[in-house]
Amino acid sequence: MNLPDWLSLFSLPFMQRAILGGVLFGILGGLLGCFVILRRLSPFGDTVGHGAMLGVVLAASLQLPSTWGLIGYTVIVGVAVTYLIDRTNLGSDTILSIVLTGSISSAIIGLHFLPGYRGNLLSILFGDILAISNLDLILLLLLTGIILAFLLVTLPEQILLTLNADLAIIQGVPVKLYRYLFIILLSITIGLTVRVVGILLVNGFLVIPAATARLICQEFVPFLATSAGIGGLSGVVGMIISGTFDLPSGPSIVLVQLGVFLGTVLLRRQS
Amino acid sequence: MITDEQAAVRVRHLSVLRGDYLALDSISFDLLPGTHTAIIGPNGAGKSTLIKAILGLIPKTSGQVLIFGCTSKKLNKLRQGIGYIPQKFPFHGSFPLTVAEFVGLAVPKQGWLLCSSRAKRRAVQQALERVNLRHLAKQKIGTLSGGEFKRVLLAYCLVTPRRLLVLDEALAGVDQTGEAEFAALLALLKEELGWTILEVSHDLDSVKRCCDNVFCLNRKLLAEGCPHVTLTQKNLQQVYGGTHEPTRLVESF
Repeated sequence: MNLPDWLSLFSLPFMQRAILGGVLFGILGGLLGCFVILRRLSPFGDTVGHGAMLGVVLAASLQLPSTWGLIGYTVIVGVAVTYLIDRTNLGSDTILSIVLTGSISSAIIGLHFLPGYRGNLLSILFGDILAISNLDLILLLLLTGIILAFLLVTLPEQILLTLNADLAIIQGVPVKLYRYLFIILLSITIGLTVRVVGILLVNGFLVIPAATARLICQEFVPFLATSAGIGGLSGVVGMIISGTFDLPSGPSIVLVQLGVFLGTVLLRRQS
Repeated sequence: MITDEQAAVRVRHLSVLRGDYLALDSISFDLLPGTHTAIIGPNGAGKSTLIKAILGLIPKTSGQVLIFGCTSKKLNKLRQGIGYIPQKFPFHGSFPLTVAEFVGLAVPKQGWLLCSSRAKRRAVQQALERVNLRHLAKQKIGTLSGGEFKRVLLAYCLVTPRRLLVLDEALAGVDQTGEAEFAALLALLKEELGWTILEVSHDLDSVKRCCDNVFCLNRKLLAEGCPHVTLTQKNLQQVYGGTHEPTRLVESF
């Protein structure tokens, strides 16, 4: 691709929306991912992400926009899973496996009864960042603002309850409320991210930047900033690689994140 | 006769069921302000359960607990006056948090600002100095030894004024020097600042040396009072069982 073609490609509105989306999703994934890995919630991201397929099927059955179907479904599943983990002694891995397989089975059966073309539904497996709409971007900006404000205001409490819930309770932190609010925000983020990178890759956005930052950071605020930075930067670089070499966007971004992670591991080993 | 408000902690007929097992059976006592009290008993006697039930960390089946005259739901800002060092503090070694950051988490928030104020930094430094760990302020908490981390937890309790300090086997994993420093610091907190201290302990020698009161617990409160009067052979055999004597019992008598 020569320079004029390249410039004209990246001046197209859908491409600019996709790059902005990639950056915002990367930042959000990086920020929330810090708490996801420290609270050992990565199987949660997988379950809610994979289970989102049922959300799409339900939205299609009820003829609702898939964005709202996804967000509604992921929030309900996120809250239900957290409630079940709190209320039973079965262990989180067991509850998550039950919800995951239950959601996928229901989605496949639902898909069987859905009339008409199902190609769009199956695209949810891999996502499409180029199809990001202005509404998606507005929702994403709104969500980024809410999550940043939430973390900024409650950061010491979030760190304390991540480290030791008992100390947080004694200090008067409303642990249950904060946990559920976090799960709701995480579920909404997963719901939106699934449309962009697909069910199969959503967890990469949450886990890889945060894991990379965890390798190099000693303090918490730099850890958050580094993770968000890696997420955002990977979004830009991944989109540029995707546009330049005509590669799928979601996997390109995740592979850039993976490259940064592996590079960090190697550099740490050398030092 | 002391009133609800005069007692630092007032427990009345507290029972806790864990599944079908009655872990605590109708416990009642008062903890007077500015006193140092130890809870002793064999493994499974319900010592940690009692502490957790008092602090509202596990639900009680029946009974009443008042801290500074308030139930745990109405403690609100008084909660800042409670320090707690748990028996176990599991976290991953790569948790990205330094010692100073961790101790700073106990400082009450000033408004909505995230940035740490000079006063907060000074308070953290002073708390770390009191436990001789200022040189580790920038170190990641996951790199500390068990004993060092216990001292960091004490600094976490010291960084803000407290009225009640609850320790669940806080000295486990601390070396002899650290143990002596720890005990001296607790005595200072009690004498000079009037802190009320409640601790779970297995060290009867230390209980006799440092505590004003002792509760002998084995699901029920079997004996209580001044350690020199309460820690009799008869009481200890009743608490620990007729055939089994605690390790330190031989040394104590």
